[in-house]
Amino acid sequence: MSIAVLQQPGEAPGEAPGPGRPALWRGLMAAPDGRVGVGLTVAMLLLIVFGPLAAPYSPTAINLAPANQPPSFEHLLGADHLGRDVFSRFLWGGRSILAIPLMAVILTYATAGLLSLVATYRGGAVDLVVCRFFELMMSLPALLKILLLVAAFGPTTGVLIVAIAITNMPGASRVVRGAVLGEIRADYVQAAQARGEATLSVVVREILPNVLGPVAADFALRITWGIIALSTLSFLGLGVQPPEADWGLMIQESRSSLQKAPLITILPAMAIAALSIGLNLASDALVRHVTSQGNGRR
Amino acid sequence: MLRDHDELAIGGEPAGGRLELRDITVRHPGPGRDGPTVWNVTLTLEPGRILGLAGESGCGKSTTAKAAIGFRRGGEEVSGASVLSGLDLLGLAPDARRRLWGNRISYVSQSASLALNPSMRVGRQLAQPLRRHRGLKGAALAQRQVELFEMVGIPNPQAALKRYPFQFSGGQQQRIALAIALCCDPEILILDEPTTGLDVTTQARISALLRDIADRMRIAVLYVSHDLALLANLTDRLAVMYAGEIVEEGPTRAVIAAPRHPYTKILLGLSPRIDDPRLVPGIPGIPPPTAVLDHCAFAPRCPYAADACHTVHPAPAAAAHGGVVRCLRADELSTVSPEPVAFAHARDAGTETLLIVDQVRLHYRNAPRPSVDDVSFKLAAGEWLGIVGESGSGKSSILKMISGLVLPTEGYMRFGNIRLDSLALARPRELCRTIQLVFQNPDASLNPRHSIRQILMRPLVLFRGELGAREREAMILAILDRVRLPASVADRMPHHLSGGQRQRVAIARAFLARPQLLLCDEVTSALDVSVQATVLQMIADLSAETGAAVILVSHDLALVRTMADRIIVMKDGMVVEQAASDALFADPQSAYTRELIAAIPRLGAA
Repeated sequence: MSIAVLQQPGEAPGEAPGPGRPALWRGLMAAPDGRVGVGLTVAMLLLIVFGPLAAPYSPTAINLAPANQPPSFEHLLGADHLGRDVFSRFLWGGRSILAIPLMAVILTYATAGLLSLVATYRGGAVDLVVCRFFELMMSLPALLKILLLVAAFGPTTGVLIVAIAITNMPGASRVVRGAVLGEIRADYVQAAQARGEATLSVVVREILPNVLGPVAADFALRITWGIIALSTLSFLGLGVQPPEADWGLMIQESRSSLQKAPLITILPAMAIAALSIGLNLASDALVRHVTSQGNGRR
Repeated sequence: MLRDHDELAIGGEPAGGRLELRDITVRHPGPGRDGPTVWNVTLTLEPGRILGLAGESGCGKSTTAKAAIGFRRGGEEVSGASVLSGLDLLGLAPDARRRLWGNRISYVSQSASLALNPSMRVGRQLAQPLRRHRGLKGAALAQRQVELFEMVGIPNPQAALKRYPFQFSGGQQQRIALAIALCCDPEILILDEPTTGLDVTTQARISALLRDIADRMRIAVLYVSHDLALLANLTDRLAVMYAGEIVEEGPTRAVIAAPRHPYTKILLGLSPRIDDPRLVPGIPGIPPPTAVLDHCAFAPRCPYAADACHTVHPAPAAAAHGGVVRCLRADELSTVSPEPVAFAHARDAGTETLLIVDQVRLHYRNAPRPSVDDVSFKLAAGEWLGIVGESGSGKSSILKMISGLVLPTEGYMRFGNIRLDSLALARPRELCRTIQLVFQNPDASLNPRHSIRQILMRPLVLFRGELGAREREAMILAILDRVRLPASVADRMPHHLSGGQRQRVAIARAFLARPQLLLCDEVTSALDVSVQATVLQMIADLSAETGAAVILVSHDLALVRTMADRIIVMKDGMVVEQAASDALFADPQSAYTRELIAAIPRLGAA
């Protein structure tokens, strides 16, 4: 007796699928630190984006009458030495601290990230030159690089963005290079090569989606570093310039009156800490999720 | 302490331990895991006997083997009993269990290269259990180490003890792992796929060594493997597992000669044999992930299933071969066996030469020897050619050169009237279309971030630019149907599919380009036997329909024989022998081919 088993229709495919992106979100929210990180980050983002709408006064309006005033109903957190409303300054102060690092990291990945992606795939001399170039950049201390740039070109927003981007480039390049090297020998890349796909098509269509996970995690982490770098610069007087409202700047301006009016220093410091910690926890959870998924994939 | 060992060795007939597994059940409580992964496994390991535990991946055979020695991973719940001379291993305190492991009970895992610590000299790794369990030191320790290495056949043991794992070949690493397992004269030896991934000749040598050791030292051995042919030749008793249950168990010879369970029958028919190029067609579906307790777990895939099979969970019953079988219809079906079929070969292999490979050599920079050395062959249009060799023989490198992934260092290749002298990127698109490559591991050859539709769309976009969107979609659905996948698969990601399904997608992708030459690189070695035949059948059918020539590369000579008209045997980058399939098996010319054929475990030799 023979069996005609081959003729049956194909079996149902495996378990019910979860679409790609929500899976990333679920992975992020699976661990408690991921949830705390996302919660903190979202809360701080809301504060930074919508805070200025709730500000009762202009953050830069100088009014000497209420100078050095303690908290009152008119000035919820009091007024600083120039009579500016501390609460309004606090609500406005997150914009630059988020925008500048964000732009800087986008710039980092748009330049160094893309360059490394292509150079690593091409390999050979191109890869060698790009690698050595970024290693050379890495040999200079980060703060020194920023200080040199700011000293040379002045502390404008554009210079700050470029300076922070440059300090991030070697690291971002390494992350991209490592991720690409992990995929480059994969059969699906070879399959594309054997199809005769153009280099750009292989890089963008085949490799890029598979390195986005580690890149996304590194991206979030670099923003945290950018925030701390910018706050450091502002504190040193080389970052955001007065009379702008900026958390780093607020700490620098008010630290002399730390004993009399601690809130003006502590509040922006805590805001910076909350944003950094939130982003850090979230990116950690993201890294963990991406690496565990990577293991499952192969 | 040394005295113990001497007595064992001199005594000749040591008592030997017997391990009785009684109703071993393993559960992994957690979401989506309702059933037990291992259900009521009862087996007995006798001293000096080898018990084979066969089954496909995910059937619970490794879990059973680990549970048997009281090893459980976090979150696993094990019930039942595993009794070694009156001692229930499952009830022991962790401390007491650790005193047994590596001492009276030893375990060897699949990959010795992973089991051995890469940063520790093998001598030290061998010394650890000897110190801990036997208290050996100094000269006595050194002497015992040398003895053990001699026993497992490591040449020059003194020097070998000082080396690191990576300085040994895969086969030697497995011998070292075996030496560590045997160092304290265990009563029980558990082997979890110990030769999977090794070359056939190495596998044959290690199997012979194991048989000898089990006989001589009166060890009770549990040998877990997916390879039924291997177990048929090595074991005394054989148990076949499916979905966490033992479906058939009995004396190996009797089970192989007259299997009672349909699953065993099909598994046997699916194993390629060297005396018959035909295979039983693969079976549809995939095994359930956990035990099925309300009906026969195999019924949905069983060609002989009756109505009762879908409603009654069969109990183990005594079978004519002296073992047990878990099948309601075992007696009715005792004389029935699945019929093997030959792969359709629709056209006569043409006279027109499609591909010429002439004195091709590939020498990677910094490699000690060329990967491919002076290889020449011709392929006629529509011909099916097999290339066989052990790992490192250069068989896959030939495919890479033909498909334009690497350039040969020397030599000449011609396809039709086009010279193959450039990488795929620089080749005319039409040439890329007509030579298609299918890889070994479909997990890796399908981009994990692309949906099946995107994956199948790519060859159409590249090579069939004249087609409109609607025609492309229709072609994708048609080819999915052709490889027997439902249309809904198009929207899934590769990781939603099983290995066999993924490989069918890879084959569909290759055939969408309408190739004249299909290169298959170990296409079934990552798959279970129950889907291996299906995948081969699919390649055979589609090639026969389109008239495509096929080059099938594999380490498995018997498997290649099922499809190939002609076979090339390779060793160390060179062609050892080239002959028509039947002639090669009937009258192998080279000593190496004879050795390869002899190393293939035979089914039904009993």
